[in-house]
This record gives sequence, C-alpha cells and structure tokens, in this order.
Amino acid sequence: MDNMTKTGNINIDSDAAGSEKAAYYGRYISNTHRLGRIMTAIVLVLLLAAPFAVGVYLNAMPNIPAAAKAFLGVGVVYLVSGIVEYLIYVPMLGAGGSYLAFITGNLINMKIPCAINARDIVGVKSGTPENEIIATLSIATSSLVTILVLAFGVLLMIPLQPVLQSPALQPAFENVVPALFGAMACKYYRQNKLVALIVLTFMILVFSFVPSLIGSTSMMVIPSGGLAIALSYLAFRKKAKAAAAGEENK
Amino acid sequence: MEILAKLNGAFMYLICGAIILLVAVICVIFAVRAYRAGKAMGIDTGKMKRVITASATFSILPGIGILLGVIALSGSLGTPWPWLRLSVIGALHYETQVAEAAAEAVGGGGLSASTMTGEGFTTIALLMCFCIIWGMVLMIFNGKSYVTRLMSGGRSARKPDADAGANAAPAANKKSTAGFGDIAMTAMFIGLVSAYIASYVGTIVSSEGVFTFKGSWLSLAVSVVAALAMAAFLYIKNKTKAEWVDSFSVAGSMLIAMASAILLGGLA
Repeated sequence: MDNMTKTGNINIDSDAAGSEKAAYYGRYISNTHRLGRIMTAIVLVLLLAAPFAVGVYLNAMPNIPAAAKAFLGVGVVYLVSGIVEYLIYVPMLGAGGSYLAFITGNLINMKIPCAINARDIVGVKSGTPENEIIATLSIATSSLVTILVLAFGVLLMIPLQPVLQSPALQPAFENVVPALFGAMACKYYRQNKLVALIVLTFMILVFSFVPSLIGSTSMMVIPSGGLAIALSYLAFRKKAKAAAAGEENK
Repeated sequence: MEILAKLNGAFMYLICGAIILLVAVICVIFAVRAYRAGKAMGIDTGKMKRVITASATFSILPGIGILLGVIALSGSLGTPWPWLRLSVIGALHYETQVAEAAAEAVGGGGLSASTMTGEGFTTIALLMCFCIIWGMVLMIFNGKSYVTRLMSGGRSARKPDADAGANAAPAANKKSTAGFGDIAMTAMFIGLVSAYIASYVGTIVSSEGVFTFKGSWLSLAVSVVAALAMAAFLYIKNKTKAEWVDSFSVAGSMLIAMASAILLGGLA
C-alpha cells in the first residue's frame, strides 16, 4: 500500500490482494454503467419532455416542422460534433466521468480541462482505474460547483444584474474562453513543442486563408486534433523503433 | 412582454429546478461512489481531496461565465429555461446559436422577447434540448462496450460483457494502454487548444478580409496574458516546490487574463 501512495498508481494485479481489488473494481465499473445508463435515460426523457410540459403550461406546443427545419440547418453540425466529442472525450473521462459530463455538458470549456487538470495534479495515466476514480470525482465536483454557482446566481440575479452587466466588466466575461485556452496552451505546449508548433502554424494558415471557418472553430478541432495525434503517433513509432533497435544492439 | 412574465413564472422555476436538482443528486451519488471506491482501492485520500479542491476552484470562474450566458439569454427566454439549459448538457458556445436558428425557423426573425410567442418558445426549447443529446444517447447505447474496449486495449472487444468489468482493471495497467493512449490525449488537447488560438490569430489576419490585418486582437492578447500568467505559476511551483499552486494555477491565470481584458478592452 505504501508503494501505491508513493507512486500514485495502484498496481492492483501485483499481489494476492490485487485480484480482490480487481474484482472490486470490476463490480464498481459494472455498477457505474448500470447507474449511469439509468440516470442518463431518466434525464434525457425529462429534458425532452420539458418543452412539451411547458407547451401545456403556455397552451402552445412546439412547431415540429419548424424544429426539424432548424435541426437540418444547425442541428446536424451538433450531431457530428456530438459523435466526435463522444469518441474523443470518453477515453479521457472514463465511465463515471463520461456519464456525468454528457449529462451536465460544458465539456470543452470546463469539464475536459478540469478533469485533465485533476489528472495532472495527481499524476495518473489515461485508461487506469485511478484515472476512472479521479475523473469521476473531478467532473462530479465541477458539475456541482457549476450548479451551485448558477443556482446562487439565478437567486441573486436581480441585485447582481447591474454589476455583472456593467459595460466595464463585459470584456472580462466575453473572454473566459480565450483566457482558458491561453492558460492550457502554456501547460500543454511545453509537453510537445514541435507538434504544437506545427499544428498551430497549420491552423493559423487555414483560418487566415479561409476566414469563414473561424465561425466553426469547434468543428476545426477535428482536423487540428487529428493532425496532432498523427504527428504524435509518428514520433511515438520512431521512438519505439529506436528503442527496439537499442535493445537488439545490447 | 406578457410571455416573458409567464416564462419567469413559478411553474417554469418548478419544472427547471426539479430537473437541475435531480442532476445535482446524480453528481453527489457518483462523487460518493467514486470516493468510496478510491479508498477501497488504496488511492491516497489526500490526493482525492486535492482533486476535489482543485476541481471546485477550477470551476468557479467558468461557472460565473456560464451564469453570464444565463443572464444573456434571460432577456428573450426568461431566466428559468437558460438556467436549465446551461446546467444540463448545456454548452455556453452552442445555446445562443441554436436558439437563434430555431427562432428564425419559426418566423420570429431572431431571438427577441418582443417577437416571442408561446409556440416560438416551445420550439426553441425543444431544439435547444434535442440538438445536443447525442453524447447521452451514445453513452446509453454504446458507453459500456466503448469504455470496456478502451480499458482493455481493444482485446476484450469480442468478449462477453459479463467478464469485461473484471478484466478491465488488470488490463488497464498494461504498459501499452498507458503508452500511446496518454500521448494521444495530450496531442488531442494540443489540437483543441491550437484550433482556438489559431482562430484568434485568424481573426486578426483575415476576419475583415483576407490578409487585411484589421480584426480584433483582444482574444489573442487575453490568451497570451493567460499563458504568461500560467508560466509564472509553473515557475513559482517549480522554484518553491509548492504543490498547492497547481490547484489554483489555471483559475488564477484565467482571472488575471480576464482582468487584463478589461484594461485591454479600452485599447482594442
């Protein structure tokens, strides 16, 4: 156990007690999926039923043809982006973190950086049981804090409104996302400077030559991320080959 | 404006508040289960407490930003509905765009309380909910098999679900999983950050016409200030070996950068 604390990584298959812990973790994950699916389904049904409940209250049901038309215009983008987000972020968040993150939203601007920040603080690796626990704790805490901030904010909205909407403060709140990405850039660019330089240069050229894409930045994460992963994979393979050649020489 | 009074009525607070309360309860259940499981598996409780503290402090500033999103939408949709949307699957970036598209589709000409009707509101509300449910849908129908496949490095993909959970833990510790998987995650994040930072540069260079260099530089300047602040935090952490700095470095950098936006906003 001391070793686990020191390294920050649980080595649950290293001894006799390991198999017990592995079984415990197996049960935990299995129950997480069961609970996650049930809770997600309940929230999903409630969320989709809410506009119709409001329709009864207002005596005005949603205009389905108009909603379908708008969906074809803007919703399809979010369908693709939703699938991409699912494929990309689930590996970062694990089971519990993913169920919570997809229920509470605000992934890119809050949940993902928050989970990665937590993972870095503790020093765990993706795909490990420790990452599963840490990501779940991080996303749950982040979601609760957001819910509390919003609840207090809504309660205080009337007296707070003049302060929050004062023109002097607007540049600050309009720049939450650039502030977040600037801070994260400093943290992550240091880990792979060459990949960061190539990807950033490529994306600057793309946005400069095709400025209409600036309005679809969230979609442009796909080629940008794909390029970063491809470059990292090439570097990873080169390193692995060099290591293998070194072993052979010994 | 009568519609706005209804949209701010007790019924709306009740229906939205109830769903948000349920989501809060779900978060508490998941947090308690994870904490207990972490303790049972031998994860240092001090580390878990640090994660909770860091995540809480990290979320306050973006939470205030999201609250501003609620305020921004409350003028046309009332307060309770934006409160619900930004608490449940909401995304600050998406909501306004989807609401605007729905308002245009029902013929309102855009998001405005003066042209809002009951039908317009319920259509907007439905579209806001429907457009971003895909992550939830995929988690319900495919989440278990996807996570299992990831944790076992793809090898258990063809195994029955029954033994997947038990196999997942030992497999997850294999070197191969932690090898490129971790590098790929860092790379993905570099890609994500690069797309946004590059869009700020692209805004300066071409937003007013290709290579005219007349666009706003405020977003890029704020990012640079945040990066410099983060570098300072990292320097302090490395020099003083104060691990607690990590818990506040991101939120602190953001706060400094956002404050700089107030000063720089006057110059931009």
